[in-house]
Amino acid sequence: MAPETVKNTASFIKIVALSVIAGAAIASRLFAVINFESIIHEFDPWFNYRATRVLASKGFYEFWNWFDPTAWYPLGRVVGGTIFPGLMATSGVIFNFLRAIHLPVDIRNVCVMLAPAFSGLTAWSTYMFTREMKDESAGLLAAILIGIAPGYISRSVAGSYDNEAIAIFLLMFTFYLWIKALKQGSAFFGTMAAIFYFYMVAAWGGYVFITNMIPLHALVLVLMGRYSSRLYVGYSSWYAVGTLASMQVPFVGFQPVTTSEHMAALGVFGLLQLVAFTELVRSHVSSKQFQTLLRTAAVTIGLLGFVAVVVLTMKGWIAPWTGRFYSLWDTGYAKKHIPIIASVSEHQPTAWPAFFADLHILIFIFPVGVLLCFQKLRDEHVFVIIYAIMASYFAGVMVRLMLTLTPVVCVAAAIAISTLLDTYIDPQEPESTEVAPTTTSEATGSSTAAPKEPKTKSKESKAPKTGLFGLDTRLAVIFNTFFLMLIFVLHCTWTTSHAYSSPSVVLASRAADGSSAVIDDFREAYYWLRQNTPKDAVVMSWWDYGYQIAGMADRPTLVDNNTWNNTHIATVGKAFASSEENAYPLLKKHDVSYVLVLLGSLIQYSGDDLNKFLWMIRIASGVWPDEVKETDFFTPRGEFRVDEHATKTMSESLMYKMSYYRFQELFGPGQAQDRVRNQKLPTVGPTLDYFDEAFTSENWIVRIYEVKPDDELGRDHKTANAYSAGKKRKKGRVARRRFALE
Amino acid sequence: MGLIHWLLAAALTAHSAQCASTSMRSFENTNVQRTIELGGSLTHVTTTFAIKALGELGPNVYTLALSELDEEKTALMDVKLKGSKETLKLEKFGFNQKSNAYLYSVELPPMAEDATATIVVNSILSHASTPFPESIKQADPQLLKFSTEAYILSPYRTLSERTKIRAPSPKVTSFSAPAELSKYAGTTADSVATRSGAVITYGPFQDLPPTTGLPFQRENQKLLTVHYEYDSPIISVVSLDRSAEISHWGDNLNIQDSVHIRNDGPQLKGHFSRLELQQSRYFNKPSTQVLTHLTLQLPAGIHKPYYYDSIGNVTTSRYRQTPKPKSNTKRSSAASSFMEIRPRYPLLGGWNYTYTLGWDAPLGDSATFDKKTGKYVVGVPFMTPVPGAAVDQATFTFVLPEGAENVHVEPPFPVDAMSKYTHITYLDTIGRPAVVLRSSSLTDQHTGMVYVTYTVPVKAHLAKPLTVSTAMFGFFLLAMLFRRVDMRIGTAKTAKKH
Repeated sequence: MAPETVKNTASFIKIVALSVIAGAAIASRLFAVINFESIIHEFDPWFNYRATRVLASKGFYEFWNWFDPTAWYPLGRVVGGTIFPGLMATSGVIFNFLRAIHLPVDIRNVCVMLAPAFSGLTAWSTYMFTREMKDESAGLLAAILIGIAPGYISRSVAGSYDNEAIAIFLLMFTFYLWIKALKQGSAFFGTMAAIFYFYMVAAWGGYVFITNMIPLHALVLVLMGRYSSRLYVGYSSWYAVGTLASMQVPFVGFQPVTTSEHMAALGVFGLLQLVAFTELVRSHVSSKQFQTLLRTAAVTIGLLGFVAVVVLTMKGWIAPWTGRFYSLWDTGYAKKHIPIIASVSEHQPTAWPAFFADLHILIFIFPVGVLLCFQKLRDEHVFVIIYAIMASYFAGVMVRLMLTLTPVVCVAAAIAISTLLDTYIDPQEPESTEVAPTTTSEATGSSTAAPKEPKTKSKESKAPKTGLFGLDTRLAVIFNTFFLMLIFVLHCTWTTSHAYSSPSVVLASRAADGSSAVIDDFREAYYWLRQNTPKDAVVMSWWDYGYQIAGMADRPTLVDNNTWNNTHIATVGKAFASSEENAYPLLKKHDVSYVLVLLGSLIQYSGDDLNKFLWMIRIASGVWPDEVKETDFFTPRGEFRVDEHATKTMSESLMYKMSYYRFQELFGPGQAQDRVRNQKLPTVGPTLDYFDEAFTSENWIVRIYEVKPDDELGRDHKTANAYSAGKKRKKGRVARRRFALE
Repeated sequence: MGLIHWLLAAALTAHSAQCASTSMRSFENTNVQRTIELGGSLTHVTTTFAIKALGELGPNVYTLALSELDEEKTALMDVKLKGSKETLKLEKFGFNQKSNAYLYSVELPPMAEDATATIVVNSILSHASTPFPESIKQADPQLLKFSTEAYILSPYRTLSERTKIRAPSPKVTSFSAPAELSKYAGTTADSVATRSGAVITYGPFQDLPPTTGLPFQRENQKLLTVHYEYDSPIISVVSLDRSAEISHWGDNLNIQDSVHIRNDGPQLKGHFSRLELQQSRYFNKPSTQVLTHLTLQLPAGIHKPYYYDSIGNVTTSRYRQTPKPKSNTKRSSAASSFMEIRPRYPLLGGWNYTYTLGWDAPLGDSATFDKKTGKYVVGVPFMTPVPGAAVDQATFTFVLPEGAENVHVEPPFPVDAMSKYTHITYLDTIGRPAVVLRSSSLTDQHTGMVYVTYTVPVKAHLAKPLTVSTAMFGFFLLAMLFRRVDMRIGTAKTAKKH
């Protein structure tokens, strides 16, 4: 065949392979849609979805200036200025484009399918990135791996409409462009990297990772003595354009020049200028001593800059690291100082099994790939090494940062596997017979320990006279690798379908006859709120459900998943933790009409409000240490109980009463059982004076209470209820309320 | 026609003045029977007029009168001669000051003098019964109040008249029997009203003068009120928007209904208790006013039914499919699919719920192609009734295939408004013509077919595949150009150097 034909065929096969990979990546994310329906998952995506609807229906400028009075009632929220609009803008553009070409796809479907679609693009960008590291075959392998790796799927199944859905694509593509800019010393690619960096800034708070990774890479290169004009051009064009562009996002604003997280990038930019200047001078002056002098000067100026930054931080000109950032270095920090961050499960340190569940064998092959990078150690390999080290650390600290680790694991593992396969598939046999026996024995010996293999092999492949003999060794290793890959695919499919494809709005269960059924209590209750309450009725609930209430019930909420105002959240916690009499005026002050609580006791739904109650108490006591005390809710033996041994404060708290109001009556006398906490409930259930049960969903998961209006006769509700129940009030016991006669 | 109109107008004034004009003949009601079947949001009224023609021959036009109360609530009225299936032509004349009533005229076949005939007027009133008390607790029985005029309005003399009110169950709490009615009750009757079981009979009243006109009504007309228990939920459809979309390429007729239903029973007083609902089901004493599910009858042979609301698929529904009958002759028989839809939550008094229900059906089931004229004829029911529910607002949107021409729409009953617009959907180039019919105050009997005829030129049929292939071709062309054109500045050699 002519070389042109070969080239074209290869290119065609490559395109087909990439399309198939993208197809596989998309398909494996559709479990949720097939098992359930095309629905937005979890909590945050509901807000993004709601915002996207505003964007799609009212246009971009309305969205930009959107003030949402229904969130954080009565404060409201300037949505346009407090979000990363990249995700919504992307969906809005896609939606409008499809409409323009007469494909009127529902905005919900655009949102649901956005994450899978972008995972296809991620596979492609990972291919491009890995191609720069090794070659096209490694690139294709990396594309497959990232396409189905559970660590990435966990954040990008259909319906998981969150910032991460597009952010990983942007991350990988920005890195690819940076590598390209660095390799070619091209201002064009540097600017492209800056543009995608801007997109990333607009899309995800995790952009700080890029902001620090690229400078770190540049710094390491300079320290390794690898400064070049390519680095200078690439970095400067990226930094200058990227920083200016990122400041256009209202939520970011002046942060790139005022906060500590961004200072590294600025520092390295300054350093590069100095180094460039030094290099310039050096090229004109030949004296070695002068050179040393300049070097010291550069270091001094660098140090001075650093000191300046520190001083500015001290003075408050530059904002210090935020709490979330500190918790990355000290895992116990959040628990002590910011319980609201610690209360989120995805901010917990990662457990070991999570690495295996999310990355399977890749986690073992990953170090090999990193090691192989040391072999050639070109500039771009340094990047992978740094990325690997940083991401490994962060993934260990916080569960959700597993997401940033996954791409580099896939890249490194692809390099390793591809090297291994290259070595073993290569049909050339070494010519020299003398060296042969030793190599074969070495090969067979090490083929059992596959991960060790590539290092020795690729070293040998450099020497033309060494190599592999025979078919058996090749087949053994190749078969073994394919087997591992097969297991990996099975594992990914299994994990995706079992662990990551539940919308969490709808729960799967089995009916009595074994057929699959769904528990749809959340939507039942939210829809009830939407249809049968006044449009301006304020709903109080724990912040977890704020976005869902806003999205599905379309009602104002006190607090939501944005969690920007700790005091407001603490107020809600305090209301739930205090007794009816104390909570009532608090709720009245906040115009609350309905209170929503979750109770899993009937069907063993463990994520209910009583299980989160300790966090509510902790957060509330952080603001009102005198009024809410954590110890009051524990029995003298230090247990958190809801049965008859529950403390008085506990059993009188609003949360307890609302959870178990009339719950006991479902069971026979004395039979009431809480199936989540496995405790027997007291025979006599709590009573409510200030609240009315307004709605309870079919499986009792969601319970909504109406806040009673003030008593017509000006009594408090407790007295009024006692009176209507026919209880005489004891003389002189209850203080009479005095009415002014005027 | 014009002459008749003119005559009618003249006749009406004549009637109201209660002197028979020579040009128009008058009638006498020998016997009038009214049967009112009480229900939830719909009330069926059957009035039988046994009439005798008086005077000379002339245009045979009988005048019906409705009081303001009835006019407001009447959602459907048709008039037949007893024993015949054909409805008589009914013309509406609006409010007549002198009669103090809304007048309608019915064209009768020619009658000789003193000849008799029996006219049956079937009408359905919507929202005629109102809950009383207006709010009840969850377990309380649901009571409704129905009021109507004691004397049937008629511009003619009536010899004998009787009103029967049939409650859905013998649980009638009370009914009024105004003593003044005995004026016309004659000597035989003990009282103006008698009740046996679920039926309350008023009358017979004898020798009534024409009951239209303010003087009589002021003096004699009384309201009858029946207070009764109704033990199933009172559903009314606040709005029903149907859209039917035709695809010749897909051989498909898609029908989609967006429905807003409301439980019009008494408002829920106090709170909703899930416990009580579950207990009542357990003890087999279901709360009567709670709507838990609706069973809708859908056409046979449909596929892919869907049921969702604004926050997603509603997981609680059951669908029983009936395959399409094989022989076309039996199409009208009971073969139909059933969709049991459950609202997300049980509907108590005053609660609302909205949903969307849709399905696909083979186009051949409802469309025919006339080879002679080259026209397609499609028949689609105006709506799928929610049994026993009054429909306050209904729209029917018919989306024709792209490029359809000579569109003619024939609604089954007069509609309030008809409009057109262009509907753009998947892969359209110029959009599809769509017709919107609007109507209000309908009942579950308004299920007649809307017939649409249209032609589609061949080039319109081909527009879609041509558009798609052109777009694909353009895309590939661009990709080819992009691959072949070198857009780098400078020569390939200098680019490679870097």
